[in-house]
Amino acid sequence: MYGRKGYQLLKDFASGEKGQLKPFNSKLFDETIEECDQNHHLLQSLIRKMQQEDLDVPNNRNADHYGALIHHLSLMRNKRCLMAYVYNRAEIVRDLAWRVGLELLDLPSEIQEKLTSLEKEYFKNHSVALKSYMGKVGIELNVDMVPPKDPYIKVRILDDIDEGIVLSDKTTNFARHSMHFLKRTDAEPYIARGQMEELTD
Amino acid sequence: MTNYYDIDDILVEEEYVPVLFHKTANGVTIDPSAETNCAEQGSKVEVPFWLAHELQLRQAVSINLPACFDQKTRLEVQADAAYVDLRSRCPYFYEFGCKLEPLVTDRTLGILLSTAFKIRYKEALTKVYTAAHITASKYLSFLTKEETNLYEAAHLSSTAFKKWKTGGRRLERASILGRKRKDSN
Repeated sequence: MYGRKGYQLLKDFASGEKGQLKPFNSKLFDETIEECDQNHHLLQSLIRKMQQEDLDVPNNRNADHYGALIHHLSLMRNKRCLMAYVYNRAEIVRDLAWRVGLELLDLPSEIQEKLTSLEKEYFKNHSVALKSYMGKVGIELNVDMVPPKDPYIKVRILDDIDEGIVLSDKTTNFARHSMHFLKRTDAEPYIARGQMEELTD
Repeated sequence: MTNYYDIDDILVEEEYVPVLFHKTANGVTIDPSAETNCAEQGSKVEVPFWLAHELQLRQAVSINLPACFDQKTRLEVQADAAYVDLRSRCPYFYEFGCKLEPLVTDRTLGILLSTAFKIRYKEALTKVYTAAHITASKYLSFLTKEETNLYEAAHLSSTAFKKWKTGGRRLERASILGRKRKDSN
């Protein structure tokens, strides 16, 4: 009662690591909405009671008024918690699109499990918008900002990437733990996803 | 309303404050010690800050200072501010105090907050550069949320500096993906 469920929902969100998603807590989400309904119901019954006593509802400040006020404030509080939950998750989804990759299937499966279908829709639409903007401007905006000293880097493959990847200058089959000498721009998305790592010596 | 969606702001406002009701409120179960379904005029109840703030704006309650700012804490801060366990008192000590300051009659709250913060901030920054992360973990459990953020920011900047000095990898796995799980096969 009185904003507890909304608070629990946000504590659950904050208990994950900063910037990381947890699976969408639909149970707590629904319970918060239920609590809002309870507050609304009690609020309406108090207002009806005041109307039955023939009091001027907006101006009369009796005990029922303050009870109704408390219910109204709790409802607004729960609404704020719900909105903040969805907003902050959407911010992380947008961040994922920028830093990891614009294709939904490129995201690691454990991240994909944590998103609801609505969030996946949001991710797709956001990627489409980004791609069309980058196409019109003519520059790829989500790559490393610092000009490299050397266009080629040495990488080691960490995960199984079994299909033959078509790179800009060759096609190779990447076996795990093998080392390759690739163009920086080709290797960048794989390193961001954690499938390769850069070797510095 | 830049703070509407801010998670920390919402969590700060959830802290409990003791209030004194000036008007009765009917049909609410806020007061656990009342037998009927209402909060009586003149009763003392602990409510979350967001509720207390709104009710005080409408002159239905008056707010008293919560326990985390009491005399015991003040004496401890005066003795040795750097090692007082503020997190167990209130994990959002400074933010909460800043929100309370215009609403309560106590004028010394602002001074308490600023002196405690000045001493602890200096101590936290020294710890970043002198203590290894493992030995500092006991000290870290005393820090409030805001101080922990500052400590981590300082730690990140010092590791970035060391990495730049010695020359490290330029391209990294995206931090948003979390820590790598160890290979199981």
